[in-house]
Amino acid sequence: MADAGYPPADHILADLGLDTEVSTLTSARVRIRATPEVAGADGGVRAGVLATIVDVVGGAVAVRSVLPDWMATADLTLQMAGPAAGPWVEARATILRRGRTTLVVEALVHNVGDDGADVGGPVGWASMTFTILPRRGDRPSLAVPEEPPVRWAFEGRGLDRPVVEALAVGLVDAAAGQVSMPVRPYSANSFGAVQGGVMALLAEVAGGQALGAARGDPVVVTDLQVAYLALGRVGPIVSRARVLPAGPDGLPRSAVVELVDAGLEDGGRLATLVTVGTSPVGDAVTPGGPDWSR
Amino acid sequence: MTDDHEPQVSAEDGGPPDPGPDPGTGWTPAGQQHDNRHFVSDYFRMERWEIPPPAGSDAPPAFGGRAPVDAHLRNAAGGLRTGGLLTVVDSLGGFTSGIAVLPEWIVTTSIMASVHRLDHRGPLVLTSRVLRRGRTAVVTAIDAVDEGDGNAPVAHVVMTCAVLDPGAMDLGFHRPFSLPMLEPDPAAPVPEEFFRIRPGTGPVTRLDLADHLRNPWGILHGGAVAVLADVAACRAAEGDGPDGPDTWSAADTVLHYLRPVKVGPVEARCQVLGGRGNRRLVRVAVHDVGAEDRLVTLGTVTVVGA
Repeated sequence: MADAGYPPADHILADLGLDTEVSTLTSARVRIRATPEVAGADGGVRAGVLATIVDVVGGAVAVRSVLPDWMATADLTLQMAGPAAGPWVEARATILRRGRTTLVVEALVHNVGDDGADVGGPVGWASMTFTILPRRGDRPSLAVPEEPPVRWAFEGRGLDRPVVEALAVGLVDAAAGQVSMPVRPYSANSFGAVQGGVMALLAEVAGGQALGAARGDPVVVTDLQVAYLALGRVGPIVSRARVLPAGPDGLPRSAVVELVDAGLEDGGRLATLVTVGTSPVGDAVTPGGPDWSR
Repeated sequence: MTDDHEPQVSAEDGGPPDPGPDPGTGWTPAGQQHDNRHFVSDYFRMERWEIPPPAGSDAPPAFGGRAPVDAHLRNAAGGLRTGGLLTVVDSLGGFTSGIAVLPEWIVTTSIMASVHRLDHRGPLVLTSRVLRRGRTAVVTAIDAVDEGDGNAPVAHVVMTCAVLDPGAMDLGFHRPFSLPMLEPDPAAPVPEEFFRIRPGTGPVTRLDLADHLRNPWGILHGGAVAVLADVAACRAAEGDGPDGPDTWSAADTVLHYLRPVKVGPVEARCQVLGGRGNRRLVRVAVHDVGAEDRLVTLGTVTVVGA
């Protein structure tokens, strides 16, 4: 979560160009431009980048509800029904429940035109659970600028190469879903550990590689179910993937990815557990229907 | 909220009480182990056993479970319906979490399930282990395999439970814990009947709250909410159009149990968000209509057409 001076200018969140607006005490939105540097196999913004903006918008709307305490993301889910093709992609978050120890947020992902109007209905759904961390005496309160509505933008240099390269993600073994990423200030959260969305992006890369190799065709990662178990503080963060067996179509579509902070003693520590779901790149996309769920 | 992670009545206590007929369905499960307090889990007949940690380890125990795939519980693809699978997952994972935090107890707050096989021979064998035991929450992973199909993996689930003061709840378990599988019952009703889900089609599906669907906390069992979400999402997808698939089965599911269901009836309101190939993503919002229509559970169900 943001505190004073976070994120620095040279940071993934700045390079993504996040434009954030907290509209009310319970709702917020974050928008980025869908560029080739953040595109996945289907041409839309890749799931790991969407998880990153979902994590940010969830934090932005949740932080005011937990003050003077802190919070950390406990779990995050993202499920895409269609491509987040833009021109802009926006995650809109709402607080569902604030309890004594947890806070739950829902976010819907929309494509938005240059004119600011929605392009069709939502193309993705996300949720987050935040654990509320009681404020300790040695820890300052989070810096929250002013009461909503409030809007700000992270303006970095922008990405001049694919986001995976910018994060220095290295591919070790595609079939085994083994990738590696250093822990750097560029990808850190305000605790100094790897930002939660970036962890999801790392798992997206690992799972997508493993499943693409198992199927023999490229896949688009559509689903992420992320459980944050410990902070990735030391690095490198390394992955291993377990491809789940084929479904009725004879081809696997899911993998369980473990992200381990390998820099710790005793062989490292499991930091994040992610289930990655995919679809074939060529599958036809069906738009959604009317909303009866409100 | 869930669940049926209630303690078993010990032999020293005189054994389980006579359940008598359930006034909600007129059906009583067969077998010797039935207890009115876990009607919902008994409906799925799951065997459970404790897997102690290695000697010298301070890790909490793991738990195993074996759930048959009875004919009346099968989905259109031939396997255990996902709502049923999530009910047994919730029972086993919740019990694992509860044992890990004794003398306190738990309620389920979220389930993230990836269901990658919908055609099961059965029985399904589940293994539940604690990933993280915190002061206020427990995170548990549950893997399910199809024992009848060479232990082919079926589902991977991560669930989170909040730690609560159990109050007067009796948590005196026999350890290591085990519970045998109940006998099959040819008179067992189909899930829609057992869970009091009203017949219908379209994006809104209603469940009538009955006493046999309440857990020991007195609220609607989390498994009942999962079954309702399963049925509701499949019905919502049936409106996909005349050229759409003939049948739908629920697969990947995310549920956030936000508030307890106390009053009822309970309504699942769906929005089909779209999808790729033969899969549709359905947002499901569950409301307790009798409690000022408040939102009690929110999540998504991915349904697969055939």
